[in-house]
Amino acid sequence: MNEYDLAIIGWGAAGFAAAIKASELTNNEMKIALIGHGNLGGTCVNVGCVPSKYLIEASKVYKNLKNPLYAGISGDGSLNFQEFMESLRNFVSDERTIKYENVIKNFKNVDLINGSAYFKNNNTVYVNDTEIRATNFIIATGSRPLIPDIMGLNNNYYTSDNIWTIKDLPEKIAILGSGEVAIELAYAFSSFGSEVHIFNRSNRILKNFDDDITSELIKSLKENHINFHLGSKIFKINDSGSGETSIQTEDGIYKGFSHILVATGRIPNIDSLNLDKAGIMYKNGIIVDNHLKTTNDIVYAAGDCVDQPIKLETLAGKQGVTAVNNILGGNESINLHEVPWAVFCEPNVASIGYTEKELRDKNIKYRTRIIGLKNVVKANILKNNSGLAKIIADDENKILGIHVLAPNAAEFIIEGVYIIKNKLTYNDLINSMHIFPTVSESIKICGQSFIRDVSKMSCCMD
Amino acid sequence: MVKTIELRVYGMTCDDCVLHVKTGLLGASGVKDAEVSLKDGTALVHADDTVKPETLLSLDVFRGKYKAQLRSVKNE
Ligand SMILES: Cc1cc2nc3c(=O)[nH]c(=O)nc-3n(C[C@H](O)[C@H](O)[C@H](O)COP(=O)(O)OP(=O)(O)OC[C@H]3O[C@@H](n4cnc5c(N)ncnc54)[C@H](O)[C@@H]3O)c2cc1C
Repeated sequence: MNEYDLAIIGWGAAGFAAAIKASELTNNEMKIALIGHGNLGGTCVNVGCVPSKYLIEASKVYKNLKNPLYAGISGDGSLNFQEFMESLRNFVSDERTIKYENVIKNFKNVDLINGSAYFKNNNTVYVNDTEIRATNFIIATGSRPLIPDIMGLNNNYYTSDNIWTIKDLPEKIAILGSGEVAIELAYAFSSFGSEVHIFNRSNRILKNFDDDITSELIKSLKENHINFHLGSKIFKINDSGSGETSIQTEDGIYKGFSHILVATGRIPNIDSLNLDKAGIMYKNGIIVDNHLKTTNDIVYAAGDCVDQPIKLETLAGKQGVTAVNNILGGNESINLHEVPWAVFCEPNVASIGYTEKELRDKNIKYRTRIIGLKNVVKANILKNNSGLAKIIADDENKILGIHVLAPNAAEFIIEGVYIIKNKLTYNDLINSMHIFPTVSESIKICGQSFIRDVSKMSCCMD
Repeated sequence: MVKTIELRVYGMTCDDCVLHVKTGLLGASGVKDAEVSLKDGTALVHADDTVKPETLLSLDVFRGKYKAQLRSVKNE
């Protein structure tokens, strides 16, 4: 039996953030077991945020080389996809080494324990037949791709866990699902020149966003040659035997796919933890209170394994830190409406605060303004002006939500985070000078549209 | 009834620290006595039954250099 002050199950973003924060707060005195399996760093660095953003950014560069946006400029735009994918894998490996493997070596109080943990009772887990008892636990076991039950879908598909191993650019790829992962990868592959088809049972994409944003995004993605099959139920997947796959839906049979990518959502990794033995309740993830405490007083949970609608690296890290602060006497909680979101296709979708749908469901009165990006000089300069900015405010002019479909929106939505966190009004927004010309002005111009007709406004108007 | 609350205390490096932590604990209402150990990094707090153990973790003395974690609670 090994005894620890804190045992953290999972060495992804949430687990790492928790281990480092606990070490910092206790002068590296806290004896910590950091238990995990697979590559250090978990989803984000290995198979999530990092490789996907590398793929997307490179695909944008390639697309712009092939189709230069400005008159008089032309380029070669040749692609060695194998070499590119090799560079992606090297980049991931370097980031993992620098940000995880090297970092954790600085914390002598943290024992890395390789294995799968499951509870023996309320204060002990087994890992590789060894018992580990701890004063407190943080469960940070993350999530994995959900594989739908579709006839013929077996060993003939990729997920975001292994798509990074491909060598050749998919000629024709079917992407099942229409969440962030599906949309981002569809965008990247179509920009590289793959024929991309998105299949989804519901007729919506990005279900957390309002329809005005997503319908505009669908238009942009169609211009990027992505084919949408929304509201279509897949009955069967057939392998031809010659490496090509067909998909049978209610509407017909779609043939000739070289790759299938399943991106129909993620499920929490909680099934093998023996949570019942420790008195920990769960539903669509581990149930926690505002302080991230589970139904077992000494056990906390953080990140994708928690029963919550948002799965993000930033939230996982923050929850890891919050759980530690609370174990050490803090009284901290995280307001999920202050968590910014982004989808990194082009234009980016970025969002903070309430959507209209959430406010309607809560019966909260609100007003909305939307401006097209054609009102934003920088978007016109970038020749990327098909998006929009939307602000939702209450009767006292307080901003309740900001949603943007624009180039670089993921970079400037942080302005919205300060606005929402500090309960600012659109007057506060209008009275804060922005840099001209930037796409971030879209938020300010949208704020101005509450008080004037922006089509009658010059760009220097404050 | 009196209970014994065991805390893991981090950040203590000398006898002065022990005194500091002990004084901080004794200042909390309902606390009768506290045995603080530098060697083990612990504090055994004897307190009235009405004292909520978690409240000890957020005492002023544990908001800076020293931090405390709740290890166990036993009735005496
Ligand atoms: C393709 C993709 C792109 C993404 N892009 C972004 C993005 O751009 N921005 C963003 O914020 N988020 C993004 N995300 C989401 C983000 O990656 C996750 O929210 C985040 O990584 C979750 O961190 P976590 O620590 O909760 O879990 P993970 O990082 O999944 O870590 C869980 C760890 O627990 C271990 N584990 C599981 N079960 C056990 C067990 N029984 N015993 C021991 N160890 C166990 C696993 O091996 C793993 O190491 C993306 C996700 C994907 C899939």
